[in-house]
Amino acid sequence: MSEKKPTLSRRAFLGHTAALALPAIVPASVFGRDGAVPPSERIVVGGIGIGNRGTSDLQWMLPERDVQFVATCDPQKQRREKVKALVDTRYGNNDCKLYSDIREFLATRTDIDAVLSTTGDRWHALAAILAMRAGKDIYSEKPSAMTIAEGQAVVETARRYRRIYQSGIQRLSEGNFTFANELLRLGYLGQVHTVRAHIAPWDAAEMRHDWLPAEPLPPKDEVDWDAWLGPCPWRPYNSAYCRGSWRNHYDFHTSCIGEWGAHTFAQCQVALGLWETSPVEYKYVNNDSGDGMVTTFANGVKMVLERDMNAKIWHGSCGVRYEGTEGWVAIADGYSKPEVSNPAWMADFKKLVDDYCARTQRPMSHMRNLLDCIKSRRQTVANPVMMHRSMSTVHAANICMWLKRDMKYDPVKEEFVNDAEANRFRSRAMREPWII
Amino acid sequence: MSKSRIHLILVVALLSALAVPTLAQTVASKGDEAKLIAVLKNADASRKDKIDACRQLAIIGGKDSIAPLAALLGNEELSHNARYALEPNPDPAVDEALRDALGKVQGGPLVGVIGSIGVRRDAKAVGALTKLLNNSDPVVARAAARAMGKIGTAEAAKALQTALPQVSDANRLDFCEGLFRCAESLATGGQKNQAVAIYDELSQLDSPHQVRGGAVRAAILTRERGGPKLLRQYLQSKDYILFSAAVQAAQEMPGDRVTKALLDEMKNLPADNQILIIQTLGRRGDKAAVPALLDAAKSGAKPVRIAALATVTELADASAVPVFVQLLDDNDREIAQAAQMSLATFPGPEADAAVTELFAGGNTDKQRLGLDLMGRRRMASGVPALLKAAHSADSKVRPEAIRLVGDLGGADQLPALLVLLDSVDRPQDLAATEQAIATACTKAKEPQAQADKLIGRLSQAKPAQQAALLRVLAAVGGPNSLKAVRAAIDSDNAEVRSAAVRALGNWRTADAAPDLLALAKATNDVTAKTLFLRSYLNLAVRGEMATEQRLQMCEQAKGLIQRDEEKRLLLGTLSNIESPEAMGLILPYLSDAGMQQEAGMAAVTLAERLLKGRGAAKLAAQLVEPLQKVAQTSTNSEVARRANALLEQAQKRGNRKQR
Repeated sequence: MSEKKPTLSRRAFLGHTAALALPAIVPASVFGRDGAVPPSERIVVGGIGIGNRGTSDLQWMLPERDVQFVATCDPQKQRREKVKALVDTRYGNNDCKLYSDIREFLATRTDIDAVLSTTGDRWHALAAILAMRAGKDIYSEKPSAMTIAEGQAVVETARRYRRIYQSGIQRLSEGNFTFANELLRLGYLGQVHTVRAHIAPWDAAEMRHDWLPAEPLPPKDEVDWDAWLGPCPWRPYNSAYCRGSWRNHYDFHTSCIGEWGAHTFAQCQVALGLWETSPVEYKYVNNDSGDGMVTTFANGVKMVLERDMNAKIWHGSCGVRYEGTEGWVAIADGYSKPEVSNPAWMADFKKLVDDYCARTQRPMSHMRNLLDCIKSRRQTVANPVMMHRSMSTVHAANICMWLKRDMKYDPVKEEFVNDAEANRFRSRAMREPWII
Repeated sequence: MSKSRIHLILVVALLSALAVPTLAQTVASKGDEAKLIAVLKNADASRKDKIDACRQLAIIGGKDSIAPLAALLGNEELSHNARYALEPNPDPAVDEALRDALGKVQGGPLVGVIGSIGVRRDAKAVGALTKLLNNSDPVVARAAARAMGKIGTAEAAKALQTALPQVSDANRLDFCEGLFRCAESLATGGQKNQAVAIYDELSQLDSPHQVRGGAVRAAILTRERGGPKLLRQYLQSKDYILFSAAVQAAQEMPGDRVTKALLDEMKNLPADNQILIIQTLGRRGDKAAVPALLDAAKSGAKPVRIAALATVTELADASAVPVFVQLLDDNDREIAQAAQMSLATFPGPEADAAVTELFAGGNTDKQRLGLDLMGRRRMASGVPALLKAAHSADSKVRPEAIRLVGDLGGADQLPALLVLLDSVDRPQDLAATEQAIATACTKAKEPQAQADKLIGRLSQAKPAQQAALLRVLAAVGGPNSLKAVRAAIDSDNAEVRSAAVRALGNWRTADAAPDLLALAKATNDVTAKTLFLRSYLNLAVRGEMATEQRLQMCEQAKGLIQRDEEKRLLLGTLSNIESPEAMGLILPYLSDAGMQQEAGMAAVTLAERLLKGRGAAKLAAQLVEPLQKVAQTSTNSEVARRANALLEQAQKRGNRKQR
């Protein structure tokens, strides 16, 4: 059933008229409305599972003049209403619609072009697949897949329905990290032999299998617990899960390796131009986190997992360091500028970042990159294949730690070589009815 | 209860107890399979233990686990967990068990079993699944359609195609998904004609845009030789969705025929559509498109011209270079800028030559543009021209040319740069030469060997040149450089002396610290003492050393500090050293009437750093007392407010740590 397009309030209309001045290069039919909307007017967006992190993403998205956010879907009433309050305050109206069931949301809101999905990790891939199957483009927070099979399904679905997908690996659209990648790409570092990827300095690769104590199930309208669990094995309700205490539980999380590796492995693989493949070897390290694990790509370049507990490599979070025959660069969150072996390179900072933006037509705004690509149908910087391959590296590193042995991986077949147990970890049966 | 039953319960309980420790792990050992199976069979085992057992059997379960797990498939509470264990087990008996369950389980468990059959791609299940396509429960029918898609055989496809005309609106998308999956599987298996038939059917359905567009793309791609003909047909479509799907397909198709189809159709299309085709020509990498793209770059709608310039750059055909140069003079500024960008990023010697020629011309604006492009292109081949310009070019061009010699060249250019240093007079040229020398030295494989060459020239250089060389030595570092800078402290020339002091102050490593301290102690000149102390304390903040060493330096400086200005320097330094001991050195100044405000500011700045840092939880309790003191004594309301806020934070974190 098609829903009537929401009308804009005067305030929202005035706010959006500037969007009409955008380059008129995109017919509206590209938005799935078959020519019903004038070119370059706006992108109608809905939310899925917007909590704390999602609110940051939403606040990043709302100022974009060609976005109109119209509805949000969440199994938790409190979160739904919080998003509505934020959006309605911004637009000066009461129009943001609320949904608790993702199936109803996607099936009925055919007016929505794209979704912002910022659920917990367990729902990232499933929500993306359901949304893309429903014809929506998507911004999906990281880590964007719980298993290798989920990542494959995201790639297949995006390709099948020609959807634009952006994983929330936002450092790929930040100047400092882009500069580091460009130094590597342009040969400033010489022949790069080693890259170092930060993993979260808390928690461990081995995650919890216990349950939090059961609490009385709230009314479904308050918290739809079955929907909250989604494809994961059932367990009794405890309100702490809904407040973020799902982290570090095996069913819901991707460990200290995935927590930051979802960012840093992607950074390294993109910098190396190896984002369409995965390492072929994983060396087990006898500690609880994977700190120091050496993974090797087919071309011999090594990516080392670094916990960096004593801040010897970085003095910020989510760091990467690239080392070559001619020098090195290191960057992490909170740096005013990258650390480089040759200070003279910094003179080229603006030039390199500007040239990157011009060459790739990607701005230094991750959200803007998605919105531009929704219009141009170009591939985003954190596209499904890049997400899947870097998350495959995360999963393989975790599996290596769980099985406590070295492993070889065939990136073409996407399977571990001569390791049946490892291969069983590539997927997890999804709980009905949340099956793709 | 009979003795034998009690015995049985005890045995099962024992087995369960043995299994419990393994249940908390992600991977059980292979020898634990029997224990895990026993948990499944134990009527008294908790739901949690059974779920854990299933999770572990997913990794280690063999043939023995299949029947006990299959027995749980109809159990509403454990059906999913049973599938969780069965789905990844490669034993064919799992398929039999799942097929068998199809006829027995209902509702949610049935949906789950259907899903697992799909994941396992069990072709023998197609007959049973076909019957479920018409199931009255739409969730079951949809699951069956998707599962048959995963199986992806011709038989599955045929069943879905047969069912499609009667399918409800609510179920249609899942049936389309099933057919997409079948077509993909058939195409991969070489049955491309069947796949094409499916895509054609999907593209013509009255279905959502994503189905039609996706089917058009796939129909073109799967046709192979027949693809270009269909491509042309859709390139003419008035429906932008189908048009863009066709263009997207073209990105993935090799061959001249595709390029020709795109170029032929492009001419007759609106600007929007032309842009999409132009971008696609770039991503296809077919250089046959270059002449047409160059034509498009020279005239027409501006957005199309800009897209054409970007695309022809991507294709990297040298014939484009003269057009870029020509368009640098275009009347439209955006076109000229796009041409600059193309020249900046276009690979190869032809563009290098064009940029060198631009630089060699007599027009100053073009020369400056040439310099910018040389830098952006990282054009090492431009170094000879740059060196020539360093001696002769326009004064606006010269400094940037000199700087670029350092950026683009290396240690090989050092002799020429040192000769240049002796000859330059203008401050801008001198600064540029100094920067180029510093860059060339720091880029060298052995920077200190290059520094030795600089040291060798110090004695003959003029004062301004000596000062420049000293600053370069500070950037390079090393014991020989330090020795030379130390010697220059005693120079007769004030400019050289000042440069030497500043060079020491900018030293990156702690080995310069004793010199600065000694100079501060020795001088009677108040201004000089402040300068030495500032440099010394700068080193305590910026130098590469352990925190303990930084603190030690501050302690040593403290002994020399008398004037308020010097105290401010120390407090500023201490606020940057992330250590509770630094706080201890700040606190006494809270009692110094002239320093109370600065000390309060330094204390809250340091506390903010410490509470954001990694060891915050451990340090929080230690910060409570100092912050209380600041809050009580500060006369500055902003400092007091910050202190109180930090105090609350430190108390909370401190209490949490104690818990």
